[in-house]
Amino acid sequence: MSTASPNARLVSLTVNGRPVARLAAPRTHLADFLREGELLTGTHLGCEQGVCGACTLLLDGEPVRGCLAYAVACEGRAVTTIEGLDQDETAARLREAFTAEHALQCGFCTPGMLISARDVVERLPDADDARVRVEMSGNLCRCTGYVGIVKAIRRVLDDRKAG
Amino acid sequence: MFGVGARVRRKEDDRLLRGRGRFVADIALVGMRELAFVRSPVAHARILSFDIPEQVRRQVFTWQDLEPAGVRPIRAASGLPGFKVSEQPPLAADKVRFAGEPIAVTVAATRAEAEDIASQVIAEFDELPPNVDMLAAAAPGAPCVHEHWSDNIFLETRVGQSFEKDVAAAPVRISRSIRTQRQCIVPLEGKGLVAHWDRQAEQLVLYTATQMPHIVRSGLSECLGLPLEAIRVIAPDVGGGFGWKGLLQPEEVVAAWLCLHLGCPLRWMEDRREHLVAAANAREHHYEITAYADADGRLLGVDADAWVDAGAYSIYPFSACLEAAQVGSILPGPYDFPHYRCRTFSVCTNKPPIVPFRGVARANVCFAMEQIIDAIAAAVGREAWEVRLLNLVPPEKMPFDNITGKHFDSGDYPESLRRAVAGIDLASVRRRQLQGEPDGRLVGVGFATYCEQGAHGTAVYHGWGIPMVPGYEQVQARITADGGLELRAGIQSHGQGMETSFAQVAHEVLGIPLERIRLVHGDTGLTPYSTGTWGSRSMVMAGGAVATACRRLADRLRRIAAHLLQARLEDVTLSGGMLQSGQADITIAEIARTWYLAPQLLPADVDPGGLEITAGYKPKSDHGTFSYATHAAVVAVDAEVGLVEILDYLVVEDAGTMVNPAIVEGQIFGGVAQGIGTALYECSPYDDAGQPMASTLMDYLLPGFTEVPAIRIEHMETPSPYTEFGVKGLGEGGVIAPSAVLCNAINDALKARGAVVTDQPVTPARILAALRNARAEPPP
Repeated sequence: MSTASPNARLVSLTVNGRPVARLAAPRTHLADFLREGELLTGTHLGCEQGVCGACTLLLDGEPVRGCLAYAVACEGRAVTTIEGLDQDETAARLREAFTAEHALQCGFCTPGMLISARDVVERLPDADDARVRVEMSGNLCRCTGYVGIVKAIRRVLDDRKAG
Repeated sequence: MFGVGARVRRKEDDRLLRGRGRFVADIALVGMRELAFVRSPVAHARILSFDIPEQVRRQVFTWQDLEPAGVRPIRAASGLPGFKVSEQPPLAADKVRFAGEPIAVTVAATRAEAEDIASQVIAEFDELPPNVDMLAAAAPGAPCVHEHWSDNIFLETRVGQSFEKDVAAAPVRISRSIRTQRQCIVPLEGKGLVAHWDRQAEQLVLYTATQMPHIVRSGLSECLGLPLEAIRVIAPDVGGGFGWKGLLQPEEVVAAWLCLHLGCPLRWMEDRREHLVAAANAREHHYEITAYADADGRLLGVDADAWVDAGAYSIYPFSACLEAAQVGSILPGPYDFPHYRCRTFSVCTNKPPIVPFRGVARANVCFAMEQIIDAIAAAVGREAWEVRLLNLVPPEKMPFDNITGKHFDSGDYPESLRRAVAGIDLASVRRRQLQGEPDGRLVGVGFATYCEQGAHGTAVYHGWGIPMVPGYEQVQARITADGGLELRAGIQSHGQGMETSFAQVAHEVLGIPLERIRLVHGDTGLTPYSTGTWGSRSMVMAGGAVATACRRLADRLRRIAAHLLQARLEDVTLSGGMLQSGQADITIAEIARTWYLAPQLLPADVDPGGLEITAGYKPKSDHGTFSYATHAAVVAVDAEVGLVEILDYLVVEDAGTMVNPAIVEGQIFGGVAQGIGTALYECSPYDDAGQPMASTLMDYLLPGFTEVPAIRIEHMETPSPYTEFGVKGLGEGGVIAPSAVLCNAINDALKARGAVVTDQPVTPARILAALRNARAEPPP
């Protein structure tokens, strides 16, 4: 654990609405901080190079890469992981649409995919499929060919428009 | 409506959608420490010495620690005559043979600290000339990767006979040199493991991200000298595999030994750079191919030499020669022609080993053969699809034994092509080409037809003689006292949705609701032996075993029901989970309660095996199943910058009976996306020193949302005559044709400029080079 590091610093932040204070080495990234310290293992590490998007989580409501954010740089901020979206209405609609459209196979990219999809749905209610694809292009999936994911996001966008 | 053929939602989705799956990186054990590997920075060298700082000496281990303890090198021989055996010490012994090869391991409280220590371990090398290009490595006089060998050829194979005199008068003769690139496999979850000694069970327990836990167990037993019963291998949720997780890894051997040596749990997580530069690769082929045809375009013969860059070591269990041996036997594809000869060379180089990547050599041979078909069509002045149609095996010949003895079980291959031609609307593409595009881009259309052997049988693998031969696939089925069903299978589902599709099969037979059926899989301690999930086999083989086991349970249920209902056995039927005779009925749950809790009510001659059974299954034919498809695509090529846009992509496929059409389509979509990567983007190049040039996902380009189009699928459904429900394997099919289709479509677009591309990936640079060459040498 990062607590062993001699230059560890106390980091205080909110995780899924709960205050958390924990020592972190300056080099510990947010995803490791959450996975190893808080046992929130739904944030997946696919590349740790900031490319694949599997570790996407919400920092003060904005999607960020958990592998590119340092925990010590998140002092005082609010983090939401996939585990914090159980009761979220948009996430619930997306979960329903993802399973209906077979938008996941192995499920490893899925938490990051869902967080990015939720951001697209809430931010761009009028997005067409081409826009959805551009907006989602920071998340990689190796299983589905993206077909089901685009359909699932389409379904939620259309449902929300219909009320 | 929940059984075979139903588009039901997956049982595994909810936990994955909530981030509550359990992948190997999510497992933490008390006292667990973490590993990092020191990897060779050079491609080919003798190790002279290690310089390990004294303060970390006790946290660093090399082959000098493992070998005296009795750890053995990984050894995967093939029984094919002439195969040269490589020995891979899991940490390099006196020599390194590829950049990235593990040479030492470090252990610390955290991965970061283990990596810190790894960075302090310095090895001194005496560098040797590396073998980087497979053709140079295969030439006489090349420095040997394995010094006791006479050359760098793992294996040479020959199929077919000389036929020059038979085709001497052939009006069409097409020769091509074709090159395909080295690929990494890149499941979103890399490899990873947690190893510990279970003191109570007195077992080494290895949690590992694998497709084949039972085979990893066999390999560990061989390398560690432990009996099999002292090893348990568990695959938790696995984040994609595509073949990369179908081998025994050196890191698994090292971690397993070290956890026994240190007496504490250990974890190793592959990082993405390790995956891209130090893991097994795939698909690097070179073809010299000549085809002969008559004036109509009918194939008369194919003569090919094929080289496969197999890297430095033969991997366990598939060996170094699977890809090349496959090339020899499947290059003829779905076509019927009289003369064939193929020589293949599995070449040993100073690069990472190769592992069978989804589709294995099928994608490469399709790329080569389908280019040839298009070239023949151009030579005889016909549409390429017409030449395909002329040469495809017609339905009236089914079942058909092709020129290499492949037994095509059923189907109408020409119909898949005709439907693809209609579905892609060839006529409108041709009109569009005549009109030209407003933006000046060049439009082209391409086709490819292939067949996909899956669920390979005992005979197929026996002849090859590797450490793994699939026999009867076994599944254990147990009805619980409250009427639920547990299935235990040795395969491993890592995205294929088998928790759902196997439940559908069991439901089809027994009528137990899907939510009361549970699949236990991926754990050698809980499941019957299986070679695992590879080769498009799990639905055919383990699915067949599920059906067999459930039918036998149904028979036992009927016998008990006949007694309890005071009916004749032949009058008792099972439907919808209910056993009936006339007006009397009883549920499966009531029979289960009787077996477990009120055995005094059972008939005297009840089967003492009860409501639990292990059944083995093989299809009626040992040749494997043969799915097939035609893919078609329309592309627009920007001749100024070389960029390709896929305007339309259609798959017309026949994989026999579909157990769950949504899962079938998902496999095809995902396969096509990977094939698009193969066609246009993915490449792991090496420089002259044998250094890997793609070490991040910014260099190794995976197709994303904006590169993969909205793929269309049309199904044909010709049941296999040999399998349960007529199912055929289809997990690999999607990836086979895209590179051929897109290459043919790009060449169709470029033909107005007289340019031809032959190598993949078809990058903008290659397209621009082909256009430059065409300008330099105008077509005759």
